[in-house]
Amino acid sequence: MRPEALFQKEFTIQGGDFVNAGESSCMIRNTLREIGVDSDIVRRMAIAAYEAEMNVVMYALRGTMQISVYRDEILLTIDDKGPGIQNIDMAMQPGFSTATEEMREMGFGAGMGLPNIKKNADVFNITSRVGNGTKLEIRIFLDGKKTRK
Amino acid sequence: MKVCPTKAIRLRGGKAHINYERCIDCGGCLRICPHHAVIPVTTSPSDLNRFNYKIALPSPVVYSQFGSTVMPSEILTILTEIGFDHVYDEALVCEMVSVAIEEYLDENKSPRPIISSTCPVVVRLIQRLFPSLCKNILPLEPPREIAAKNLRSEAMREKKIAPEEIGIIDITPCSARMVSISHPETMEKSNLDGAIPIKDIYNKVMLRLKRSMPMVMMQSQTRISGIGIGWAIEGGEIRGLKYTNSVSVSGVLNTIRLLQDVESGRLKNIEYLECLICPDGCIGGPLTVENRFIAKSNVLRLIRHFGGKKRVSVDMVKTLYRENFFSFKWAVEPKSFPPLDKDRNVAILKLKQKEELLKRLPGTDCGVCGAPDCTTLAEDIVRGESKIEDCIYIKKKSSGEMKNSGDKK
Repeated sequence: MRPEALFQKEFTIQGGDFVNAGESSCMIRNTLREIGVDSDIVRRMAIAAYEAEMNVVMYALRGTMQISVYRDEILLTIDDKGPGIQNIDMAMQPGFSTATEEMREMGFGAGMGLPNIKKNADVFNITSRVGNGTKLEIRIFLDGKKTRK
Repeated sequence: MKVCPTKAIRLRGGKAHINYERCIDCGGCLRICPHHAVIPVTTSPSDLNRFNYKIALPSPVVYSQFGSTVMPSEILTILTEIGFDHVYDEALVCEMVSVAIEEYLDENKSPRPIISSTCPVVVRLIQRLFPSLCKNILPLEPPREIAAKNLRSEAMREKKIAPEEIGIIDITPCSARMVSISHPETMEKSNLDGAIPIKDIYNKVMLRLKRSMPMVMMQSQTRISGIGIGWAIEGGEIRGLKYTNSVSVSGVLNTIRLLQDVESGRLKNIEYLECLICPDGCIGGPLTVENRFIAKSNVLRLIRHFGGKKRVSVDMVKTLYRENFFSFKWAVEPKSFPPLDKDRNVAILKLKQKEELLKRLPGTDCGVCGAPDCTTLAEDIVRGESKIEDCIYIKKKSSGEMKNSGDKK
């Protein structure tokens, strides 16, 4: 049984809302900084959170992002209602993207989102149900249990 | 108080107090305070007397301050008439640094974007707000330092003057320069000895310009660099770079927004980032006289006049670059704001308290408590620096409740 989180905060993300996109990950960064998390870990979490948030904004209807701080790790979960991912193995490959032309024109959809999250996380889990939604679990260990690759 | 991007100002007992741990010397308060409560530290003319040999190092911004017909050489000449023994065109070194930046980008494949180190406020902003980006800062000294370093050794060699008798003075639009001179971040001691605001020399120079007009353009020995003059405005640093996927930004809020994007990993495909805190670049500095739109137009005219022809030898710069003439002594160290508490568990508790407090505070950000907004007051309270009663709404409410309970008796 894992212990109760020391701190938890939840954000809602609206699909298609490019205007406010990035705000939740920005608040996550500020929060982690206020509690004195090492700046490199803050940066990794900020990158992962931003990519995950953008995925919800671009592909899903809506989603929630929750940050939980434990004694030895930070957990970020993103749970969205949306089309889901057909083939996760494919989606995890760098460069693969289902972004529309329009999104690409906005500078997104390079196919680096999920691989980038994985790169910055210590533990990364993804589950998806087509036609239902996608769930991400991102963990970064505090106190350097596992150093950066 | 509200204009401060790092929320460093509090009003206590009717006076503004600056928390220097948070201040990044952006000059925002200086620009806006109607009571001139903020006075920047700079060098006064009497401080100059302790030097036997005084060298003026005018920022390229100086050339933009005296109307559209005045040429840099006239200004340089006048500076030697108002008490300086020697004057050197900083723009020339700006051009050298442009070449050095390109060298660095060619050779170095560290994470992009590389962020310019020219604006001392940007360096401090990154240390404080974006500590993880310290390693993206270009590890080369800005033109003013390079120029001063060169000038001192030149004066020692050619005029046989002791280094401590030489005073190299920046003629500056910038209120942060003096801090970067007295508390440098990347070396033990700055190569500069002081900074005089442009507005402090403005009258003297203007008077002489008026008196000597019309005059034949005086030929000064100093060569003037058109590329270097461009450094006075936003975009000047990247204009000459062969890396065209470079970006420039000016203004404190724009800079913060862009750096947030960098920290989220969004701008990795950008090579070089020129960030300047003052709006439109150094011509928007708080110690200038001419309004920045006119000044910008003057700079653009000078750029056209002098053209993009290189005045410095690329090979010479490359040799100096190899000798690490431009390099920082040491890297910029992060200086992040202290967390709510050193102990992470206590910090988390305090963060929870802060969120609870925020629910109670009115959220009007009225500023009567002396903090710029409710969030900052909540933070000050959990840090033990303010009390909840500082909030006028809460005070009124609780005194109202007291009265009510008194009535019941």
